[in-house]
Amino acid sequence: MKFSFSHLMPWPYFPTAGEDWPVSNKSFIPEKATGVYEDYISAISFADECGFDWVSCNEHHMSPYGLMPNPNLLGAIMTQRTKKARILMSGNIVPLLNPLRVAEEYAMLDCISGGRLIAGFMRGIPHEYVAYNVPPNDSWGRLREACALIKKAWTAPEPFGWEGEYYQFRAVSIWPKPRQTPHPRIILSASSPQSARFAAEQGAMAGIVRVTDLDTVAGAIKIYREHAHECGWDPTPDDIMVGMYCNIADTEAEAKKNLDMGLNYFVNVLGGGIRTAQRLVVQKTRYYQDEENKEHITKRAATHAKVTIEDRIKNGIVLCGTPDQVIEQVRTIHKKWGHGITSVNMKVGKIPEPAVRRSLELFRDHVKPALADL
Amino acid sequence: MDFMLQSADLSTGKLAYYVAGSGRPLLYLHSAGGVRLAKTLAELAKVNQVFIPVLPGFDGTEPHKGVATMRDIGKLAAEFIGKVIGGEAIDVIGHSFGGRAAAWLAVDHPKLVGELILECPSGFRPPTVPKPSDDPKIVRQQMFAHPERLPPDEKSPQQAAANRKVAASYHKDVDYESELVERLSDIQSLTLVLAGTSDGRVPVEADYLLSERIPDCHLIFVYDAAHNIEVDQPDRFLTVVRSFLDRGKAFIVNWGEHAVAGIDASTAASGSSTSRETLALDSRDHVHF
Repeated sequence: MKFSFSHLMPWPYFPTAGEDWPVSNKSFIPEKATGVYEDYISAISFADECGFDWVSCNEHHMSPYGLMPNPNLLGAIMTQRTKKARILMSGNIVPLLNPLRVAEEYAMLDCISGGRLIAGFMRGIPHEYVAYNVPPNDSWGRLREACALIKKAWTAPEPFGWEGEYYQFRAVSIWPKPRQTPHPRIILSASSPQSARFAAEQGAMAGIVRVTDLDTVAGAIKIYREHAHECGWDPTPDDIMVGMYCNIADTEAEAKKNLDMGLNYFVNVLGGGIRTAQRLVVQKTRYYQDEENKEHITKRAATHAKVTIEDRIKNGIVLCGTPDQVIEQVRTIHKKWGHGITSVNMKVGKIPEPAVRRSLELFRDHVKPALADL
Repeated sequence: MDFMLQSADLSTGKLAYYVAGSGRPLLYLHSAGGVRLAKTLAELAKVNQVFIPVLPGFDGTEPHKGVATMRDIGKLAAEFIGKVIGGEAIDVIGHSFGGRAAAWLAVDHPKLVGELILECPSGFRPPTVPKPSDDPKIVRQQMFAHPERLPPDEKSPQQAAANRKVAASYHKDVDYESELVERLSDIQSLTLVLAGTSDGRVPVEADYLLSERIPDCHLIFVYDAAHNIEVDQPDRFLTVVRSFLDRGKAFIVNWGEHAVAGIDASTAASGSSTSRETLALDSRDHVHF
């Protein structure tokens, strides 16, 4: 079992819960942001020291939910502040961006890091499309074409042009190219049936985050595996990453208190505006393409906001407790899903930095060694 | 734009050809499927005078004595340019089988070819790349990403099979024409290679080989197109080809819609390459470091 330390970089000083979109930035305090970023970057660096196999950051726009509009900037820092861990960019949201810019910046990260990049091509969540004024109906088409174009930019030995539906370039020859050949491993979201099929079709790793119940994840993994087989390949456990919220503390009560407070703030305070934008997108567009996915996502969003910490632990959808409890929880999900990478998000909402650091230490000293057999 | 069927007396026999439009002449060499008067060609004929010879033996025409190889077709095309079109250098498009013939025309008769467009050309599959399947179902997938876009007036299966047989009599089932490959560096024309991202017949390695060996070559991938780009993505084909024919090397610059309209109009009106030359000079005037 490999472990990834994922950081969303949430804003910890948001004053009140709200449902407005866009979220007003009048309460943002630039002076505090400097310290916030340093805390978060230090935590990532410490995760590398604690033996995490991967470190990860992602991309979100116009929201206190995540202070990472460009994950590649953080990626560049991670190349310098980490030594061993592979660097997972679980952005870029390629349908919003110039795919060649993504290809170039990922190639830079791969070269600078000595070939440690794992390249995420994300579709993003609905509010990103509102933020960047991109039609949500185009999200799948753009993602599909951008994936093909980026791979071509990484691998073509000769200059080329591209005439597509969304992207047109007459002369492409990127400098640098990635260090890994033929290109860095690609990871795509596989949380919904449609995205699981797409990841399989692309020969990419599957990333499943925001777990609402064990069976739904198992179902997505099953679809991913079956569809990959139909496409002529069979994923290994190392092709499947599942992401969980996590707090490890010296006592069960302390872990519960930390994660409950963090999730409550994260979901109910920071997540309000995002839910508003999501409702608008789901209602007015074909973002989710089919009813199967729409139902899946809307159900997940509704459920997410209401579940108590006790229910989350009971249902196995978070990793929370003492080291021994978390070890058992990881064994349970591994048995259920057969995945090879567990991604943990320890900075949930405004869980204090000392508590995050303690989680990392307990992971290093107890959890990881005890799970060496997985 | 309607094409008219006409006939020319060449040294090897009568050659049928279609022609439409006026303006700068454009020669189109068809694929092993024979002539398909696609909408793309009618669109090109709104600006160019488009000539489409029915290569000997195809579509029920008589073979020509002494025209037996791909290189011979190139020679035949050169004679056609001299006797029918007027002998000036003209722009040439060759699709698949026709692309291979167009390449021979360009290496053996460089003075007759202005700009060269090789659309999914056959004959350049490196020996290390496996041959594609011959299963008819799979071949259809390799040929068309969007078979539903095929026009209803396609040829009969018998005619299609006969055309494939004629094509084989020329290319002799040689997938890698080494003599031609060796001479690609002799091509003097500004060249555009068009490749479908889903082309199952011509491998991407062949596209790169052409791009590497032809001295002044641009390779463009047309997304979501297989071997028949003109069927799968006619608008994308026209956008790139029109721009390449009108602007030459400067086609890599995005001029914006208004600028494009102005340039198109002047090029079409003059029927010459003046606009292309002017653009090239302008670009030299604006180099900054």
